[in-house]
Amino acid sequence: MKTLSPLAQKYIDRFDSALETLPGAGDRNISTLRKSGLEKFSKLDFPNKRIEEWRFTNLASLTKGPANEDQPSTPALKHDAFKADYEVVFENGVFSKEKSRLEKLPEGVRLTSLAEELGGGAVFSLDEDDNRALIALNTAYMQDGLCLHVSENVEVPGVLAIRFVTNSSEPQNIHIRNRITLDGGAKLTLLEEHEGNGHYFVNPVTMIHLSDGAELKHYKHQNESLAAYHIALTDCEVAANASYKNFTLTHGARLSRNEMKTSILGADALSKLDGAYLLDGNQHCDTTSLTEHKVSQNVSEQVYKGVLAGKSHGVFQGKIHIFPDAQQVSGDQLSKALLLSDEAQVDCKPELEIYADDVKCSHGATSGELDEDALFYLQARGIPTDQAKKMLVAAFLGDVLEEIENDSVRQYFEVLSASWLERV
Amino acid sequence: MLEIKDLHAEVGGKEILKGINLTINPGEIHAIMGPNGAGKSTLSYVLSGRDGYEVTGGSVTYKGQDLLDMDPDERACSGIFLAFQYPVEIPGVASATFLKTALNAQRKFRGEEELDAMEFLKLVREKSKELDIKDDMLKRAVNVGFSGGEKKRNEVLQMSLLEPDLMLLDETDSGLDIDALKVAADGVNRLRSPERSALVITHYQRLLDYIVPDFVHVLADGKIVKSGDKSLALELEEKGYTDISAA
Repeated sequence: MKTLSPLAQKYIDRFDSALETLPGAGDRNISTLRKSGLEKFSKLDFPNKRIEEWRFTNLASLTKGPANEDQPSTPALKHDAFKADYEVVFENGVFSKEKSRLEKLPEGVRLTSLAEELGGGAVFSLDEDDNRALIALNTAYMQDGLCLHVSENVEVPGVLAIRFVTNSSEPQNIHIRNRITLDGGAKLTLLEEHEGNGHYFVNPVTMIHLSDGAELKHYKHQNESLAAYHIALTDCEVAANASYKNFTLTHGARLSRNEMKTSILGADALSKLDGAYLLDGNQHCDTTSLTEHKVSQNVSEQVYKGVLAGKSHGVFQGKIHIFPDAQQVSGDQLSKALLLSDEAQVDCKPELEIYADDVKCSHGATSGELDEDALFYLQARGIPTDQAKKMLVAAFLGDVLEEIENDSVRQYFEVLSASWLERV
Repeated sequence: MLEIKDLHAEVGGKEILKGINLTINPGEIHAIMGPNGAGKSTLSYVLSGRDGYEVTGGSVTYKGQDLLDMDPDERACSGIFLAFQYPVEIPGVASATFLKTALNAQRKFRGEEELDAMEFLKLVREKSKELDIKDDMLKRAVNVGFSGGEKKRNEVLQMSLLEPDLMLLDETDSGLDIDALKVAADGVNRLRSPERSALVITHYQRLLDYIVPDFVHVLADGKIVKSGDKSLALELEEKGYTDISAA
């Protein structure tokens, strides 16, 4: 039998006792589900660099032993909170009814916590997944998360914020499972935020299902402690005429990964994944996407931009998979990185896998330094070097932030990016 | 105002300026003419402090200070303005933001109060009008999608906003038709004053019909080989550089 990583072994060793305390304890169906997850995980272990999808992201510092205590455990960035219309708060991975503000949610929105659902014996037909170890682990250990259902044609006005706040004096592991379902024609704007203090590993898994004509704008702001590990997986199914628009702003965590799998299942559907990552020190951020066009006549778009200072490392892996007979599909992908130091590094791997012949696809990846000519031009007008550099970085980020349709979220992300720049 | 003594400079290990001597007093306009490759643009970059232009000998004193010791932004704030031969396009930075940032950086440097958005707008509108620049240019990104003429006019606009003491014009005439040239020259002439000086670098005499210099120098192979008044420019136009340099 192969030797598992120390952290994987720890998960396996304490599973039996964990089963008794995790939500849904005593429910046989839930136990069976968790056990199947653990079994799968124990066969796989944490991904390592020999696995193609994990070539550029090394989890060894997480899996090989106790967290590195040398890391600063301060939050990545202090900022004013976004003023959302409704708010769901999870503290250390557990739903906080007191801190959440949900009274204004319109009729037709059902919002519960996963712990509540599991405790009530509800067994979700959780999508079993193909060999993704971190989903299997999440199934075994999921403790709480958001269960959100928006009924047919209900348009939720404003922005619903989901805040995951972690404050840990002791190293801890948090497995969150969210489930978001929009029925036909439903519309929702979501702001998912993660922030915290201390050493911890958080593993949010989110399953999204959008029925015919549904529209979800999903904004994510990742501002975890600079000692934290944040490994998120988001799967989204997009039916005909539906649209999924995601924008992820990352500037927190020691190591983070956003893995997104979007399946486009109908005509005139849209998947739009954009994001910006701002890294410094020895931060690592991995954006990995798989976009599946399973039928004809739909569109996917992706634009990611990264700004890398210090010894940081960025990864972008984007795969567009067009299934046989998925004709008249367009899939575009662009990744740009701006390196502010000689020691920063970025790895890009765009991939197209196309089995239909009437499609339009593009991908591009660039990385470079600040334009010396532009920098000198600004200096020659009296703008100090530091300020000139910031102007150029802000200009680089400007057009990807423009992709954010919601005005208040866009302004919020602009302010966050500017404060990050002030600190670098 | 500016005193250049035996200035030597290299680019990429190659000596381009081989001992330049030039003194510009307040209120004077000097023209530097010369064939391609003589070192005209190098001189303008050395004076404005661009990276990669290494001074290997000599000195430059500006208003009594060692100019070569100053950063590019300090030089600009102290009143040196380089009008670029090829103004740089900066996507994502709106012209108005750029102008306001530059103006306020210079005001701050001089210990003056920064202009607020309204004051700035009023000033920039006034200056744009003088130069026949449309307001919408201010909303566009710096030089992006500008025609050659628009770019040069934008340089002159920046100059009239920043009101420098020493204007360095690097081939401001290149790529301009005669109307655009007149507008640009007009902008420079408007700034002429007994305290303000200019160094006009040009390949052709044409620009000097509109910006009339007090002195004309011929730069060849990294040295000033001949100096005179404005009639020297006409002589050059007639005889070409070869004759003059050989003389």
